[in-house]
Amino acid sequence: MLSSAKHQRNHRLSATNKNQTLTKVSSISSSSPSSSSSSSSTSSSSPLPSQDSQAQKRSLVTMEEVWNDINLASIHHLNRHSPHPQHNHEPRFRGQNHHNQNPNSIFQDFLKGSLNQEPAPTSQTTGSAPNGDSTTVTVLYSSPFPPPATVLSLNSGAGFEFLDNQDPLVTSNSNLHTHHHLSNAHAFNTSFEALVPSSSFGKKRGQDSNEGSGNRRHKRMIKNRESAARSRARKQAYTNELELEVAHLQAENARLKRQQDQLKMAAAIQQPKKNTLQRSSTAPF
Amino acid sequence: MENMGTRVIEPLIMGRVVGDVLDFFTPTTKMNVSYNKKQVSNGHELFPSSVSSKPRVEIHGGDLRSFFTLVMIDPDVPGPSDPFLKEHLHWIVTNIPGTTDATFGKEVVSYELPRPSIGIHRFVFVLFRQKQRRVIFPNIPSRDHFNTRKFAVEYDLGLPVAAVFFNAQRETAARKR
Repeated sequence: MLSSAKHQRNHRLSATNKNQTLTKVSSISSSSPSSSSSSSSTSSSSPLPSQDSQAQKRSLVTMEEVWNDINLASIHHLNRHSPHPQHNHEPRFRGQNHHNQNPNSIFQDFLKGSLNQEPAPTSQTTGSAPNGDSTTVTVLYSSPFPPPATVLSLNSGAGFEFLDNQDPLVTSNSNLHTHHHLSNAHAFNTSFEALVPSSSFGKKRGQDSNEGSGNRRHKRMIKNRESAARSRARKQAYTNELELEVAHLQAENARLKRQQDQLKMAAAIQQPKKNTLQRSSTAPF
Repeated sequence: MENMGTRVIEPLIMGRVVGDVLDFFTPTTKMNVSYNKKQVSNGHELFPSSVSSKPRVEIHGGDLRSFFTLVMIDPDVPGPSDPFLKEHLHWIVTNIPGTTDATFGKEVVSYELPRPSIGIHRFVFVLFRQKQRRVIFPNIPSRDHFNTRKFAVEYDLGLPVAAVFFNAQRETAARKR
């Protein structure tokens, strides 16, 4: 009884997560061409509302529909996306390894382990040694966002349907995938305003103390990025100014040379006259 | 000359002076700003110690019947990553006759030496051509939260005719190279 309630809760949470992720994806896809295929596949699985609040009001039955659609869509999305290797390849392979080698319980263990490790803000540097694979995965995905969001969706995916082992894993994997993709898309956008919704997006799902430190790190990262941009701009401005000065000085140099040539010519024209005059004047006889 | 004008503004765009402080404009007047004979060029770094007394600002343009307003501001206060006090006003001189220098104008806001505490600041000199000789500016309540654009609108100065900026950071800051 209790567990079923938990399942329901998980279910609801995960479904809203899904919706958020998907709406994010579709909103981003308009700007970035690389994710356009995903948006097309998701938009075809249409019962998705665009508003989060609407999604939460929906009944469980529709959630199931949504969930199934998402599974199909995201698998589709995975397959379609494989030709873009940079961001997609590695997470996908890792996910598949888990899927093939480990039974579900171990996968959950891995999740618990990663959850336990998460609260330490230095898990990135210190945690990778003992737990090997699992931590590297968390490190991979945690990049600019508070990781619990991802973990939560994974948990719900694993706990949701035990009958069908493949789908939740694959979908959770794809969820990770989209999440990762999202983070990348956001990472390209340096302006702070664009990053604010994404942080609140994480906030809705995250519930632990880690969120603060993640946010701080996120902010620091943004600041650093802006600072780097300023530095580049400064350097460019400086170089530009020097180039202008060079151009200006070259022009001036050319002008002065021309002037000098003209003066020389004028002098050369005047000189022989003087010489003849002198000769005539100096001849005494 | 026209071409020269648009090229001269490039460093100002790169340095985001055009954008952060000014709108796009075409420089039409030549302005020389120099501290102790050292001319200020866009994007160069000057040490706070070398800019402690007011610079010589020469206007090579207009004539004695035309008048100019010079404004010097820092858009990066207290620090460039979060300039919530921007812009900081350093200097205003009005009624500078053309072909002369700033000492012939009226100093409305006295020169305050740059004292950048956080990060690398830009210090911008902006020259406006006045529509007529006049304008005694009221006392400006605070040097912080100055807005060059608003100022130009308020006193009907139009777009700038010249601008130049330099960078400065703490005297003791760690510098590359």
